[in-house]
Amino acid sequence: MTDRRSDSDTGDGTRTPLWVKVFGIIFVVVVLLFVILLFTRGPHRGHGAHRLPGSPSGHTSGSSHR
Amino acid sequence: MIMPPRLRTLALTAHVACSVGWLGAIVVFLALAIVGLTSQDAQTVRGVYLAMEPAAWAVLVPLAFASLVTGIIQGLGTTWGLFRHYWVLFKLLITVFATIVLLIYMETFRVMARMAADPTVDLALVRSPSPRFHAVLALLVLLVATVLAIYKPRGLTPYGRRRQREQRRMWTAP
Repeated sequence: MTDRRSDSDTGDGTRTPLWVKVFGIIFVVVVLLFVILLFTRGPHRGHGAHRLPGSPSGHTSGSSHR
Repeated sequence: MIMPPRLRTLALTAHVACSVGWLGAIVVFLALAIVGLTSQDAQTVRGVYLAMEPAAWAVLVPLAFASLVTGIIQGLGTTWGLFRHYWVLFKLLITVFATIVLLIYMETFRVMARMAADPTVDLALVRSPSPRFHAVLALLVLLVATVLAIYKPRGLTPYGRRRQREQRRMWTAP
């Protein structure tokens, strides 16, 4: 974030640049995917399904690690 | 409030150091993740997953917050602003998103460390591709932020355009 360019040099048109639209779509898709995965699979992504030291449940072999 | 040039350079140095440091730390975690998946030595494998949690708390989390805070200071203390240019806004969103994902993932680090510490847990269950997957994703995301910071693609947000018009009006006013 340096100040080498003036504001007028950084695009002052009224139209939204194409790269912004592409980045925006990708960002929204990635965030939505993350939220969906978080709520459907949980944050542990398989590891939480395994037995932890001191936890009452046993191993759940064959579950995904990711 | 616009920072004086010397302070601005200092803040920029701090921001670059923290952001590049965060990127480098993720590369180290990727290396650890690969060792954890490929090493034939059981102690090494368990050691990798045991070390990840404290290392993440000691390095990844502080660097993520430092990158975020120094980036916000850079935005607020220079003419770039935080919400005037799309590339700054995207960088901010990427950093906030990556920091949130990291904080959520700390629980996974904790679970993996507890499994690695338990000698009754089979080594095949201790090994996990999850850190490698997340490290690769984090690297990609932070590389995008780095590219944005270097190339600074054009594009003013509606707020940025409004501020620019106001400034031009002020300069041209008698």
